Amino acid sequence: MDLDLTAEQKLIQETARDFARAELEPVAAQLDQGDDRTPFLANLKKLAELGFMGLNVKECYGGSEAGVIAFSVAMTEIARSCASTAVTLSVNNMVCEVIQAVGSEEQKRAYIPRICSGDYAAGSFALTESGAGSDPSGMTTQAVADGDGFVLNGAKLFITSAPYAGLFVVWAVTDREAPKGKGISCFLVEAGSPGLIIGREEKKMGQHASATNELLFDNCRVPATALMGRLNDGFRIAVGELAGGRIGIGSLGLGIGLAAMEYATRYATQRSQFGQKISGFQALQWIIADSFTELEAARLLLMNAAFKKEQGKPFGKEASMAKLYATEAANRACYAATQLLGGYGYTRDFPVERYTRDARICTIYEGTSEIQRLIIAREILRTFS
Amino acid sequence: MKALLVGEYREGNLLDTTYELFGFADQLGAETALLLVGSDSRLPAWVGTLYLADAAQYGEYNPELHTQLVLEAVARESADCVVFLHSSYGWDLAPRVAAGLKAAQVSEIIGIREEGFEVGCCNGKMRRTVKPATPSCVLTIQAGAFPQLQPGGSPTIIRMETAGSSSLEFMGYEPAEAKELNLTRAEVIVTAGRGIGKKENVPLIAALAKALGGELGASRPVVDAGWVPHGHQVGTTGQSVSPKLYVACGVSGAIQHLAGMKKSEFILAINKDKEAPIGEVADLLVVADLLQFVPALTARLAK
Amino acid sequence: MKILVCIKQVPDLESRFKPNGSKLWYDEADLAFRMNEYDEYAVEQAVRLREQLGDAADVTVLSIGPDRVGEALKKAMAMGCDRAVHIADPDALLRDPWQIASIIASFAGGRGFDLIFTGMQSQDRGSAQVGVLVAELLGISCSTTLVGFACDGEYVIAKRELEGGIKGVVKLRLPALVTCQLGLNVPRYPTLPNIMKAKRKELLVIPVAELLATGPVAATVSFHPPMRKGSGMVLEGDVSTLVEQVIGILKEKTAVLR
Repeated sequence: MDLDLTAEQKLIQETARDFARAELEPVAAQLDQGDDRTPFLANLKKLAELGFMGLNVKECYGGSEAGVIAFSVAMTEIARSCASTAVTLSVNNMVCEVIQAVGSEEQKRAYIPRICSGDYAAGSFALTESGAGSDPSGMTTQAVADGDGFVLNGAKLFITSAPYAGLFVVWAVTDREAPKGKGISCFLVEAGSPGLIIGREEKKMGQHASATNELLFDNCRVPATALMGRLNDGFRIAVGELAGGRIGIGSLGLGIGLAAMEYATRYATQRSQFGQKISGFQALQWIIADSFTELEAARLLLMNAAFKKEQGKPFGKEASMAKLYATEAANRACYAATQLLGGYGYTRDFPVERYTRDARICTIYEGTSEIQRLIIAREILRTFS
Repeated sequence: MKALLVGEYREGNLLDTTYELFGFADQLGAETALLLVGSDSRLPAWVGTLYLADAAQYGEYNPELHTQLVLEAVARESADCVVFLHSSYGWDLAPRVAAGLKAAQVSEIIGIREEGFEVGCCNGKMRRTVKPATPSCVLTIQAGAFPQLQPGGSPTIIRMETAGSSSLEFMGYEPAEAKELNLTRAEVIVTAGRGIGKKENVPLIAALAKALGGELGASRPVVDAGWVPHGHQVGTTGQSVSPKLYVACGVSGAIQHLAGMKKSEFILAINKDKEAPIGEVADLLVVADLLQFVPALTARLAK
Repeated sequence: MKILVCIKQVPDLESRFKPNGSKLWYDEADLAFRMNEYDEYAVEQAVRLREQLGDAADVTVLSIGPDRVGEALKKAMAMGCDRAVHIADPDALLRDPWQIASIIASFAGGRGFDLIFTGMQSQDRGSAQVGVLVAELLGISCSTTLVGFACDGEYVIAKRELEGGIKGVVKLRLPALVTCQLGLNVPRYPTLPNIMKAKRKELLVIPVAELLATGPVAATVSFHPPMRKGSGMVLEGDVSTLVEQVIGILKEKTAVLR
């Protein structure tokens, strides 16, 4: 049993932290408030060049081959400074990993290096639809075989990075007669494909620099080689890969929670009321103690899930537990941090307000807390029946 | 105790900081002799033995030959210690002399204690007291830590020569980048430190400088990051200043910075960290988020 | 060309320091260690020279200390150094500059390094002695405080930073040692693939006993926080109150505000 990071993992953590402090932190508030994504995209490019887009991807495809634990600690460090950058990293890594897991050799060679190198600013994961959120198997986007390819029609919703993604992993129904979840296939659709339309950008509560758009398919024609994995086997791929993404989002939540509590704790040691530092009041000490305890528990859950995945062991339940707990703990940490700052915490002059908005989506995307509980309960009950 | 002081010439001029060596020796209670690689035309006002080597022959920077000159003077004087300023000249030369004497060196002394010499460490956050354990020792003193002492009079000159070649050739000086301003004459300086967080916050600091009728200064990290041009840099590698009011915004207070501003008449420091070393020299430390406090102060001054 | 870079691992200087049990140095508990900032410039310059010279150059990075310095060495290798030497010494932090320089010189002597890079000083001790002492012990040319560097394989052209922003230009014949000042270059972030590949580079561990033959020449007798300036006032509180207090004090104590 060794709970210490390896020297390599520590160095990756240090590099992520150094980069985040020097490059992300100074522009995070400005990106939150403004419309100009230029510094955001420039930093994504730099992060790609440093190898952060394919942490758990093989070297031969341009990845860093650093493993899942390194991915988790890097996500946390990036998220401490900029959650929008972190979520883009998480999705990019997930896209690379799904192609690596189920793509053909040609697909791997064609696309993974372009995301890892930053040639593509991002990759997108197009699963959710307006009527298929927590229940993606209810999707209606269709792909119909036509000559030497497929024609896609339908609409996807809440697609991260859509306006600047170079590649979309798209799920569509290919067999309408098959039982639910059995007739779905997965396609790799390049940006600029005819009939692929980037729709309206959502106006979100937080994570503003990261674009979230509607994606429309209007007789979008893709070649037969766009099919990834076997026909009608796509849903299994989605379910499998989402578990890895949950480690990413849990780690992201942890980063936001830590940023909020570190800011608020420093504030509490400087702010005086009633003639003493407010950190001297036991009521606030308990808030600090509880929050950091929860964040530490979240970290250990994440490390455990990442370790299991890295070892090639089943990790679905652990990833769900970590995602559930870390993202809920992050929201509680932001709530506590706001409370510690009092009225200042509610203003935009202090970053805790941004952390609070950025954290909120974490219990929703990549599977809501309720879906995580469903998965965890199912896994537990399985062993009792 | 006998101390051999090693002064400095730059571009033909005796540097004023040389007089700080006398201030140190005075506090140490040591008899002094002085070594200079310089010229007759600019001699220190002081009575004592001056070992003088000609800079025209040995250069203002030629550490190999200067080391030989120092070692020879030490031998002639039977000096117990050799004292340099902790400057680009001193810290370069001192260890060579220490190696030659097989003597301990204590670097960047800021004070004299009964048990030994006080030096800063951990970026100015802590202090060490160091005691040399060799019969003779080499000391460098922090710029500005000891008062300049100008005893007056004229020295007795002993000409120094040394033979030998050098593996190192001094090619000349490069002037500092054009200074837009002379901070040394400013009555008020408002300095931006690393704590301002980003380049975009420089105008906040500049606005306060304007409201106070002063100039904008900058610490080294801010200049290195390209947020403010070098001409604004305060510290040992920038300008040494002593305005009536010095306002340090988000300056942690590295030793090199403190050395360049601690003689200011009144120092106001604004910092989030109450423990930051700038607090040691500040007459007034405001513990606050400078992004909140500075605009508020500027607005109040504008009224 | 054989190049040596000497690096030190130091605590994050943002940390709070407290004396350890001996009261002679800091307590290492709760401190996060990383490469001395000055040494990052030294590593970067060595790696740039290696890139300039190609495979004709070979860069060894050296550090003295306990096991944890392996991390700093791996970072240097991830930045581009070819191999590393770890001089294993759990007591490295207590040694004086003379001993540290002796250890390095004892390793480097006879190994034919053409060029040695060190930081100008460490961030924790800040003695600015080790580099120059190593050069003296090896009897090679040396210059300090570099903010500019060029090397053609035979000579180094060094730009030294002097007081007031003036620079002194110096030409040194190899073999030579130079100490690097902040701002000499822009140290790179190690890329993740290079961090992983650094694992496969050679890391030689030498027990310090094989290289250390000399005792200390100076003793630290006390390690303590600085005394605060007596007259200094500290104000905290709400921004609007603070502003009024500060204006009041400036009016009273300075001739600047009336």
